[in-house]
Amino acid sequence: MNNSNAPFLLQLGILTKRLLLRLSRRPLAELPNIFISAFFLLVYDGALGGVFGGSAAGTPFDFAKGNFLNFILPVSIVSASVSGGASGIYLVEDIESGVFKRYQGMPISKWAIILAPIVVGAVRVLLQATLIMTLGNLIGADPATGIWGYFAVLGMAFFWGMGFAGYSVAAGVRSGSSQGAQAATFLFFPALFLAPTFTPRYALKGWLETAAAYNPTTYVLEGMRAIMIEGWVSDLILKGFLVAGGFAFITLTFAVLSARRATEKS
Amino acid sequence: MFAVEAKNLKKTFKTKQGDVEAVKDVSFQVNNGEIFGILGPNGAGKSTTILMLTTLLRVTSGNGKIQGLDVGQDDSEVRKKIGIALQDTGIDNLLTGRELFFTTARLWGFSKSDAKKRTLEMLDLVGLTEAADRRVKTYSGGMKRRLDLGLSLVHKPEVLFLDEPTTGLDPGSRRVLWEEIKRLREDGVTIILTTQYLEEADELADRISIIDNGLVVAEGTPDELKTSIGGDVITFIFHSYEDAKKAKGLVSNSEIENNELRTTVENGAERIPDLLNKLSENELEVVSVSANKPSLDDVFLQVTGYRLEGAADTEEELIENE
Ligand SMILES: Nc1ncnc2c1ncn2[C@@H]1O[C@H](COP(=O)(O)OP(=O)(O)OP(=O)(O)O)[C@@H](O)[C@H]1O
Ligand SMILES: [Mg+2]
Repeated sequence: MNNSNAPFLLQLGILTKRLLLRLSRRPLAELPNIFISAFFLLVYDGALGGVFGGSAAGTPFDFAKGNFLNFILPVSIVSASVSGGASGIYLVEDIESGVFKRYQGMPISKWAIILAPIVVGAVRVLLQATLIMTLGNLIGADPATGIWGYFAVLGMAFFWGMGFAGYSVAAGVRSGSSQGAQAATFLFFPALFLAPTFTPRYALKGWLETAAAYNPTTYVLEGMRAIMIEGWVSDLILKGFLVAGGFAFITLTFAVLSARRATEKS
Repeated sequence: MFAVEAKNLKKTFKTKQGDVEAVKDVSFQVNNGEIFGILGPNGAGKSTTILMLTTLLRVTSGNGKIQGLDVGQDDSEVRKKIGIALQDTGIDNLLTGRELFFTTARLWGFSKSDAKKRTLEMLDLVGLTEAADRRVKTYSGGMKRRLDLGLSLVHKPEVLFLDEPTTGLDPGSRRVLWEEIKRLREDGVTIILTTQYLEEADELADRISIIDNGLVVAEGTPDELKTSIGGDVITFIFHSYEDAKKAKGLVSNSEIENNELRTTVENGAERIPDLLNKLSENELEVVSVSANKPSLDDVFLQVTGYRLEGAADTEEELIENE
């Protein structure tokens, strides 16, 4: 008789590995989101880069300082980080298939069960953001902060993606259905477009400018843009990290509280 | 100390439509090393009883003990001692059998090399070595059940709970699983098994508890249960239901089903001539007559008032092959 069970971090590692294995069994599921993010990057750069790129020099619209890619790349990164929302779907799949119940019958920490999909969501975000940044770099993005700027942007994307992961896990656990978890993805549209997506905030119409001021995405975009365009401008970058981190903290707390309820015995 | 002890277990589910008393009062004791069968029709409360005893569901009142440990208070200790194969537990379809055994062993705390070894042993035990590297998606219903059984055994539990392990399987696959379950008993594992098949309970269980509507209605070894009815079961077959109905008026303590009439008597062989005379005096023609020792089927009928087999067959579900 085997009397010990794996320590917490090992459990988390094993469960994470299992989810990554599942992920690798259906790689096509990753494509749409990567495709959409890459599509944004190319199309927006193609459509708007001509106006707001180098030719805007000397005009009030020179916010991209000559390279619109630097300005629009954060939009693609933020859209890629919504892939963290898959976390909730992973968890709900396990609830629906009964795998969750199997784990409940084993001496496994329920936190490990909840955290594993969130970790995998975060890994997805890192991978997708890295791919998008590589693409951006290939077609001409050049962060004012140099190569380290990319890592800073990646870090912010990671927190932002964790935020979506937490939100989707909470939504999934509360609704108990994949549709509920999927709803996290819909949040992404207002989040991305009620923001200074294509121009800086000052250029937005009044109502949108007001909405953008309340939208956390705004501060993440502005933080990333500062890194890409301005250099190490500490207040904007700090704000970006604080907002992304705060979002992650709030939704993870929400996820943990929801999970506690879901794992309660009836 | 008993391997498993259920004492006045009760479970009431609160739903929007009102309270559901899934288990009203279930008590039994399971000795170490035996196979204990819980027999009952759909909705009897078998799964609910198992879920309470395996710590997965809170008991409303009463208590459950596994080798003296309380299922409510010592739940994590209990989980280490038991193996569970639930009726509707999903298996991760995207992974292979080997990966599932390995992952499970790792979660139970086996080192990498021990987990590898255990995986090979388990694949062999449940006959899945050939299919080890195929995704579970491609397994047949019987293979999935054997995998499920295997996964519940990875940590070498002392007490094993199997909730309807063979429902939906064809007779061949059912036999294979039966043989495996018997082998586990030989290895000293205590097994609690639910079933809606009389034949299965008869074949496997050392002792049986029949539950109906959340209550235990009979308990004993298959032989005890059969002899509890006393005597022999005589079955008369008539040309029509009408004849059988008429005959019921003439034969005391009898039951009819379609054109069959059954009665339980001491010493069946001696009573048959008498009864036949009585029937022919009343111009009832008997197509055939037989006397048998009572079966579990008869026991079930006696204690619940209806037959199990028909009920089980119509509602039998097939295993979902996702
Ligand atoms: N979570 C629940 N909420 C409400 N009612 C429930 C719940 N689980 C079970 N029940 C009800 O409790 C009764 C017993 O169910 P249970 O699943 O224990 O029966 P069973 O003997 O396992 O049946 P089967 O052979 O069909 O598996 C049924 O009437 C069922 O509808
Ligand atoms: Mg059941």
